[in-house]
This record gives sequence, structure tokens and C-alpha cells, in this order.
Amino acid sequence: MEKPINSATIWLILLNCALFVQGERTKDKMYQPILGASCFRRLNGTHQTGCSSAFSGSVGVLHLVNTKADLDFLLDTPPAPPYAPMIPPHLFTRDNLLRLKQAGPANISVVLLINKPEQMTTFSHELNCPNQYSGLLRPNSIETVTCDARNPTNSWNPWGTGLLHEDFPFPIYYIADQEEIEKLETCFKDFNLNYTTHAVRRLCAVEVKSFMSAAVNTEVCMRRTNFINNLSGSKYCDPLEGRNVFATVYPRNSPENLDVKKKRNANPNEKFILVTCRLDTASMFDGVGLGAMDSLMGLAILTQVAHFLRQTLPPQDSLPNPYRNVLFVTFNGESYDYIGSQRFVYDLENKAFPTRSTQTTPITFDNIEFMLDIGTIDDIANVKLHTLKSTVLANKLLQQINSYAKSPQFGFGLNIQSDVSHHLPPTSAQSFLRRDESFPALILNGVPANKFYHSIYDDVDNVAFRYANTSQDFTTLVDVSDAKGFQADSLQMKVRNISSIVAMALYESLTSKTYTGSKVASPLLADEFLYCFLQSSDCPLFKASSYPDSPSGLPLPPMRYISVLGGSQESSGWTYRVLGYLLSQPQVNVTKENCTILPLQYFAGFNGSGECRLSTQNYSSALSPAFLIDNYDWSSGNYSTWTESTWTQFSARIFLRPSNVHQVTTLTIGIVVLIVSICLVYIINSRSEVLFEDLPASNAA
Amino acid sequence: MDISKAPNPRKLELCRTYFRTGFAFLPFIWAINVCWFFEEAFRKPAYPEQSQIKRYVIYSALGTLLWLIALIGWIIIFQTNRAAWGATADYISFIIPMGSA
Repeated sequence: MEKPINSATIWLILLNCALFVQGERTKDKMYQPILGASCFRRLNGTHQTGCSSAFSGSVGVLHLVNTKADLDFLLDTPPAPPYAPMIPPHLFTRDNLLRLKQAGPANISVVLLINKPEQMTTFSHELNCPNQYSGLLRPNSIETVTCDARNPTNSWNPWGTGLLHEDFPFPIYYIADQEEIEKLETCFKDFNLNYTTHAVRRLCAVEVKSFMSAAVNTEVCMRRTNFINNLSGSKYCDPLEGRNVFATVYPRNSPENLDVKKKRNANPNEKFILVTCRLDTASMFDGVGLGAMDSLMGLAILTQVAHFLRQTLPPQDSLPNPYRNVLFVTFNGESYDYIGSQRFVYDLENKAFPTRSTQTTPITFDNIEFMLDIGTIDDIANVKLHTLKSTVLANKLLQQINSYAKSPQFGFGLNIQSDVSHHLPPTSAQSFLRRDESFPALILNGVPANKFYHSIYDDVDNVAFRYANTSQDFTTLVDVSDAKGFQADSLQMKVRNISSIVAMALYESLTSKTYTGSKVASPLLADEFLYCFLQSSDCPLFKASSYPDSPSGLPLPPMRYISVLGGSQESSGWTYRVLGYLLSQPQVNVTKENCTILPLQYFAGFNGSGECRLSTQNYSSALSPAFLIDNYDWSSGNYSTWTESTWTQFSARIFLRPSNVHQVTTLTIGIVVLIVSICLVYIINSRSEVLFEDLPASNAA
Repeated sequence: MDISKAPNPRKLELCRTYFRTGFAFLPFIWAINVCWFFEEAFRKPAYPEQSQIKRYVIYSALGTLLWLIALIGWIIIFQTNRAAWGATADYISFIIPMGSA
């Protein structure tokens, strides 16, 4: 009887022990992870920009910077470098960052940007002249003629610091979450106050890993990536690459292009009004940055214009010219030297747009009647129509636009001014004008008022967007007198007004008739569109434009950075669906079973019941022609050369770094122990007969 | 293989083979030859084949030394100029560093 009791007791004790033991790893006891977003390295034909950590991570002692004096202290008399200053946005200025860069990685090894925007007034790290080295250039120069970088106040981004185009020898990590900031501040206050004894005690430090493989410039990293001797097969960088989304208001019938072997020819009768905008945005940190004001406004307006024209235009064969059509294109990668539009122009020149696989007739420049480019609309009350030269066409369109903008019937109460000069905004039209200055390009652009251009703070708050969540049908136009409960100064109404004006002017130029209806663009559609792109992809508009019962989007806004091949491409995907849905024509007689072959497409629709529609949308490639041309001269400046470095991981964690004395002592003890043990082994080995007296002699040969 | 147990003509034959093989751009063979036959060439009491073995050992040592100097020289030149040589340096490299020029 005794034995079973004993073993049972032992098992019980073991079980108890197991309950008390926590399987926490030493690593987890030492380090605490910090969530955030990292700055990374991009390269162009001549330079590298952005940040990289050291290969195995950069370590710096945390230091909270509240005032400029804190920064001066770190730079002038650092007691125990290297440091990792935690900087709030209002101190994240060009001057301060360049001083930190100058101090070198020996003194400043990491920079943390913490989300405390209370004192921030501006935050834009784009250049004063976005896309300064592309677009319409000065004769015999690499700089654009459309903006003067020496005169920032009159530039297209007066608040820009240009830090996005600097190369930093340390990682910059953005911490948005207040809890994470709290962790950092607590650790700093607990261990790092009392600066006089910094050198001799343990301190709270942060380690950031964001090592970048590529270096120097695109030429070098592409050469190394494509290199035949590259045994490890490692990639150093990838070209920035995405997809443009295009759609037409009338479907294009091109049965003659079904034959794959036939040479493709354009149809000279076809005439297009090209309506374009920018699809992407940019920011310094990976995965953060909505570009709410800097490019989403344009996309919202383009979508509304498309929807309005689809709803109001008569059938194509009843137009005065039945070959006229409207081609909507949203260009991707425009933030990086006009990748999308450069490729579009290149494709047009080579009769490669749209691609053969779309089974439609290629389009050439002769098919384009004129281009209306929607740029950044920062302030709706201050929008201008820019052209390079004064033309009959531009004057006519401006007059049409203003006749609706000022019309008492609609009460928009706006006035669009004309600007005829070389001072053109940095938009897609520049790629067309660079090829041919007489190209009929008209650019609708607001006077710059965005203090957060291309930054993480160009968000919902910057455009003062409030989702109304009305659950009403957004797929129909509404009467001008019906504001659907939106305030006159709300963003939705602003988008409604400017979109209606543009759409009505286009309606008039297509039909040669004044728009006499009372319907205007729907503020509900603007509300839903902005909610999807600013707050959550799990939204009614995206649901309506997907296949019925397809998995809903993430409750996060889609990423709008162009990224690389194999990147998320969320925004082009959603734009494709939304434009597809809004620009397609319902096919009542086609059943779901027969609605499988493009251009027939099945959409969920507003109420989710499913409807078959004749769609017109498609993708075109947004990869710079520089990566297609053999032996392209990377420093020529002809095409965008931006690439993104590869990396293995982004991570940040805090831990207690022992003092230097402590570290040196540990190392010294280790070395001494090693030497002593070697001596001991030697002595014991040489006197082994004392220990192993009785053993027979070794039989080794 | 324990060289001391081999007959003297066999030692000479081995040493000669190693010396000749070294000409196939294999300086390590020469280095091994030197280590292996050093004892036989200089420390052992004289025997007829020893003078020849001695000669091969000395030549192998010289060859090793020349290779060593040449390699060290090239490595210094290459490493200090790699970044400046640009594409050329990349084309003659098998391992290209990450994150730097």
C-alpha cells in the first residue's frame, strides 16, 4: 500500500511545481517590444534616401525631448552616447534632424518620433517642389520649370522640409500608440533621469532593427539584384510598381481586335476626353499615411464625376459625335516622379494602351481631345484651372465650369480662376506636357493649403471628415436642394459641389447642350467613398462593388502607397471595383449564370442582392519605363527610377543597458576565466598520471 | 598516413607529386608539402633522397610565400578600392555586402 501513495505524492508535487513554473524565456524577461512604423530606404538614379539601422539593430539610450534645450544637451554634452531621442512632431524639423544626422551614429543611433501632436502646426517632409526633378523641365536642366525651389513661399508645398529626400544614418521609428509612448516614457523616467551619473549606471535603451539591403542608388542595387554571380539569390531592391486603373463612360466595342496575330491599329475616329487624377500618396513611415487631402480629394472628385456622367449622359449614338467617350484614368506612383503617367504616355506612344489582352483598340495621342487633370484640391473655395498656354479650348471649358459654379440654380457659389503660366502644379499632366508642350492639358488644382502634405498627419482630422453613416442609397444622384442632412460646410458637400461643377461642364462639352437637370452628385456617395478610404475597407461602398457575399475588407483604410510588385495593391484593387461598379450599365436580362465573361461582371450592388452589369474598367501597368528599356541611363532623368530597398524585419524593443564599466568588467572576467581554465586543463593534462595512475598505457598510434 | 613508416623512395615520390600538383594554382598543396616534409628534409639524419626532398620543400615554401604575398596584396587592393571600382568590382565578386556601397 505504501508504494502507490508515494508515487502519487510525487506526481502531485511535480504537478504543483509545473503550475508555479512559468515558461517565460529569458529574452522576454529582458526585452519589451514597442509597436510602431519604421522609415525605410528608397533609391533613385543618383541617390539613396530614407533610413537604415545597423545590421544587427541600432541601440540608443532613451532620452525624452520636450524642448529644443533637451536636444542641445544631447548634441553638445552627451554623458553616455549613443542616444535615442524621443521627439514630438513639432521638434521634428529639418534643422533638428540635420543636426542629429551631423552628430553621427556614434552619438545619435536611433530617432523615435512620438505621436504628441499638440504643439504641431505643420508637418510635411516632401520637397517644396514635389517631383522637382521630373515633369516639365527647364531647357538644359534637370529641374522642373513649373516650380522654383529657391522661393518656397510660392512653391507647391510651402511647408515642405524635404526630409523625405534625405539619407539618415540612423533608423527613425514612429510610435503612434499612446500606450507604447507611455511605456517608453515610464522606462525613461524610472532609469534615465539624473544625467550626471549616466556613464556609470544602467540605463533604459531602445533597440531598433530596420536594416536595409540596398545602397548607393538604383543603378547599383538593380545591377546587384540582376547579377549573374549572385549566388545567394538575394534581392537588394525592387522597383516601385503598381497598377493604374482606367474606365470609360461608354463601353468600347472593338471586335476587330479579337484576332491575336493581327497588327493593332488605332481608330482615328475615336475621341476621348481624358479625366485623370492621382491614386497614390507617400509618407516617411511604412504603412502609415492616408493622403487624405493630398490625393484622396482628387480621387473622390473623379469618382463622383464618373458616376454623375454615367447617370446623366444619353446613349453614345445620340451624341453629336457618336465616337466621343470619356476615359477616366487614376495614375499610381505619381508621388515618385510620375511613375503611372510616364508609363501611360510611354504606352500610348508604343500603341500598348490598353494592352492586347483587353481586346480593345489601342489609343494614341491623336485620339485624345483634351485632358482634364484633377490635382490636389486643398481648399475648394480657391481652385484654379491651370494651362500652359491660353487656348480656345481652355477658355471655353473655364467658361462652362464657371457658368455652373456661379449658377444661381445650383447655388454652388464658387469661382474657378484661370492661371496661364509655366507655374503648373505637380500633377500627371506634366508627363504629357513634357512630351509635347502643345498637348491640350487642363489642370484643376487648389491653391496649396495642406500643411501636412505627404505625411502621416494628412488624415481624417486634416480634412475634418465625419462619417454620417446614413445607410441610404448612394448609387443615385440627388436633387440639388436635398442636402441629405449634411452641413453646407461639410466635406461631403464640398466634394459634391466641385464634382458636380466639373461633371456638368464635361456633360456640356460632350453633348453640346447645357445641363438643365436639377440632380447633382450625391453627398452620400462622397460620404461612403471617404469612409472606405479613410477609415475602414469594411464599408457599404466596397461591399456593393464586390461580388455578392465576398469576404469583406479589413476594418482598416486601404494602403495608398504604390509599394512594389507583390505589395498589397489594396487601393488600386478597390478603385478598380468602385469605378467598375459606378461606371457600368445594369444588364437586367442577364442571369447570374451567364454573367461570368468580362466585360459582363456581377456586383453585389447597394442592397447586396446582386446585379449583372456591363463594365468598362481595367488595369494598366504602373512600372516606370526606365525598367523596361535596355541599358537605360539611370542618371539621365528621363523616367522615374525609384526603387525600394528590401529588408528582413522591422522591430523595436526596450531593455536595460548595463553601464560601460559593467560591460567591460563582465568581458574581462570572462577572458580571465577562459585563460585560467586553459592553464588548469594544461596542468591537469600534464600531470594526468597522478589521477589515472592505474590505467594501462594509451594504445593510440 | 604516418610518413615516418614509408620507405625513403616513396617519401621522395610523394614530395615530388605534391610539389608538381601545386602548380595547378593550388598553393595550399605546397603549404601542406612544407609542413609534412619539413621534418624529413631538415631534422632527420641524412639519407640519399633527402637532398632532393629538401629542394622540393624549399621550392614549395617559396611558392607558398609568393602566393601569400600576391593574395594579401590583391585583397588589400581590392578591399580598399571595391566601392570605387563600381560595376567592375561587382562583376568579380561572389559575395556582395548588404546595405553599403
